[in-house]
Amino acid sequence: MKLEMNGISKAFGQNAVLKNVRFHLNEGEICALLGENGAGKSTLMNILGGVIPADQGEILLGGVKQHFATPAQSLNAGIAFIHQELNLINDLTVYENMFIGRELQKKSGLLDHKAMIRETQKVFDQIGMDVNPRAMVRDLDASYKQIVEISRALMMNAKFIIMDEPTTSLTDPEIQRVFGMLRTLKKQQVGIVFISHKLREVMEICDRYTVLRDGVMVAQGAVQDVTTDDLARHMVGHDVVSGYREVQEISGREVLKLENLSHAPYFENVSLCVHAGEVLGITGLLGDGRSELFASVFGSLEGYTGDICLEGRQVRIKNTLQAMKLGIGYVPRNRKENGIIKDMDILDNGSIVTWDVLTGKNGLLDHKKQRADFNAQKEALRIKLDDVRNGITSLSGGNQQKVVLAKWLTRNPRLLILDNPTQGVDVGAKEEIYEIILRLAKEGVAVVVLSSEAQEVIRVCDRALVMYHGKVVDEVRGDRMNEHEIMRLATGG
Amino acid sequence: MVTSMKKKNFFQFLADCWKNKPLFSTGCALLVMIVLQTLALGFDYPTLGDWFTAWGRNWINILRNNAGVGIVALGMTFVIISGGIDLAVGSTMVTIGAVVMAMIDSGANGWLQTIGITGVPAYAIAIVAGLIVGMLLGECTGLLVSKGKLPPFIATLGMMKICRSVTQQMTIQSNPTVPKGFLAITGTRIGGELILPIIYWLVIAVLLYIVSKHTAFGRQVFAVGSNERTSRLSGVNVNKVKRRVYALMGMLVAVTAVIQISRIGSMDYANAGSGYEMDAIAAVIIGGTSMSGGKGSVVGTVLGMLILAVMNNLLNLIGVPPFLREAFKGVIVIAAVMLQKKENN
Repeated sequence: MKLEMNGISKAFGQNAVLKNVRFHLNEGEICALLGENGAGKSTLMNILGGVIPADQGEILLGGVKQHFATPAQSLNAGIAFIHQELNLINDLTVYENMFIGRELQKKSGLLDHKAMIRETQKVFDQIGMDVNPRAMVRDLDASYKQIVEISRALMMNAKFIIMDEPTTSLTDPEIQRVFGMLRTLKKQQVGIVFISHKLREVMEICDRYTVLRDGVMVAQGAVQDVTTDDLARHMVGHDVVSGYREVQEISGREVLKLENLSHAPYFENVSLCVHAGEVLGITGLLGDGRSELFASVFGSLEGYTGDICLEGRQVRIKNTLQAMKLGIGYVPRNRKENGIIKDMDILDNGSIVTWDVLTGKNGLLDHKKQRADFNAQKEALRIKLDDVRNGITSLSGGNQQKVVLAKWLTRNPRLLILDNPTQGVDVGAKEEIYEIILRLAKEGVAVVVLSSEAQEVIRVCDRALVMYHGKVVDEVRGDRMNEHEIMRLATGG
Repeated sequence: MVTSMKKKNFFQFLADCWKNKPLFSTGCALLVMIVLQTLALGFDYPTLGDWFTAWGRNWINILRNNAGVGIVALGMTFVIISGGIDLAVGSTMVTIGAVVMAMIDSGANGWLQTIGITGVPAYAIAIVAGLIVGMLLGECTGLLVSKGKLPPFIATLGMMKICRSVTQQMTIQSNPTVPKGFLAITGTRIGGELILPIIYWLVIAVLLYIVSKHTAFGRQVFAVGSNERTSRLSGVNVNKVKRRVYALMGMLVAVTAVIQISRIGSMDYANAGSGYEMDAIAAVIIGGTSMSGGKGSVVGTVLGMLILAVMNNLLNLIGVPPFLREAFKGVIVIAAVMLQKKENN
């Protein structure tokens, strides 16, 4: 049986995400689906999994046209979608998870535990998995959890399985365990779509590849005919966008120096330094440990080992308040969860870090100065708003992000850490934020930009460190700082 | 034509207020309550002056009787805005009360009496000691919640059980006598009326209003309650804010303890303060403070407390039997939250 998707197109509003995409998958093969963030991989697979409908195109299963309006219909046709966030309940046993929503019952209406355990064991035997069905899911490691979810799909007679970045949160031995499982499934004629950024893994486990770029299928073929370099080039495209900044001599004083900083399991033996007036990029794939690394520097993740030196003085950073007082500013990733306080107004959001400084001798906040400080930043960052007493959520994403930036600038930090600074920000505001970053560097602030977008790193950074699995693999600057090279290093190539 | 336009605009204005001003509906509810209560009181008096005197008396009674819980509710506002809850207030009041009583006891065993301190200095020392005990109990709860990472419900449920039980056991032998002078703290007449408890309540309400709006601590309480992660990532010492919130609660409970002892001249350790936590929480909720934290106001809580108090008085006036009155409280809490839900959408 063959799974085919022909002429698939999909647009969200004006934004065409997929343009006439063709994709096919045979029984008993593993096909890699590659592409940068936003290339359309998830959209394509969501269409196949019945999560969203396509605007145009058809899905054929063994030559028969299919209509998937819901995930359940897709599952009934034998297509299972294993999402990145696993769909298991930690506080139930393995067999209970296998049968959730379709529990086997005895005639009396009570659960037939014995039958459920027997059926679970049957599936596990078939794929050679040695896990006790009675074990709690909580006690399993991430790879076994994934295998439980695969087993559940098999029990529902799935012939095709879509795996969305299954190895992101796994360690090397766990990855090998999942790969072993995939090979077994392949022998049993199951077809697998393997979505990943990690090209070495693709070379290891996949038979074929399909590359999407900007919603168009740009390449496909047999994995044995290509190298990781070829795949990286397909993903990025030949015409790499130029527009990086001129290389500058870094002459400022050393503001931050990390020596052998480690925090299992996030990062290991990281050493680096950042100078005043410099923009340092840190890039890599999701889960490479860069966010945790700088969360440690800002004191929001406790328990690191190694040394942090600020302006030549060794410091042990225990909490965020201390980091803030040492002159570190931190714009976290995921603005909604970490950046803004949704119940508070714009002014409070834009001044929370200076409340201690704004408190006068009488113990009251100096509202006049609060407003003046914020308005100064508002002008400088060109934040568009009606009234500072409006709720923060009344602003667009870009303006919200500027408010988060503004609050740190009112404290004049000497080191500013920006994690994914343009996440969920439209193109115009993105460029404005880049301008602000460059201006700050010119004013002598040491800036660290964490980003998974190579173009962003190239646009604003003087040099960049690429991380892979918690380690800094290399530094790129000048001519070497291009998308191809960054992609190669970030994927472990 | 012109008048109808004006009318329409006026109603639109009302509708806008109803939608956008969180306290507008609470104020309306209170107004309705007051009108009903005034009607229930009746106008069967010889002169307008007599009616007014009776009406005013009734009001002073309402306010005085609710000042104690009203003060507790003010602290509860901060606790709930910070994302917590405090079930222990009734019990910690008894513990604080026992300490204060033991100190001012004019009998043979009075702590301060035995070392020769009596009168106003003794009262002052006892009150300060009560405030400190309240603060320490609050700090304990705060530590359990912040460092111990216990859900506030659990931490304060535990404190509730511990405080009352230990206090009852420790005071099993004691029978303190409250000196006459201590009663003056609430019993001194101002302009011929017993309104000191009301004044304490109002003064504290005004102070806490200023704290909530115009101090770093006050704003941090809102920030922590709305988004703890962002607050921490903005350099707010979240644990310290939480500890201070419960410490403040403890000190306000101490104030209430002093007021109750002074008004009644004794304290029943087994029953005093029981139900305070629920009445305080009810007042806070009716006043528009969100149970999930981050949103709320001191003014709202005062209005909420007044709604509960006036309603209780109204039910009393129209002769609803005492057992049934609690049911009305329940109805009004549910109705208030349903109204607020509507406003949020």
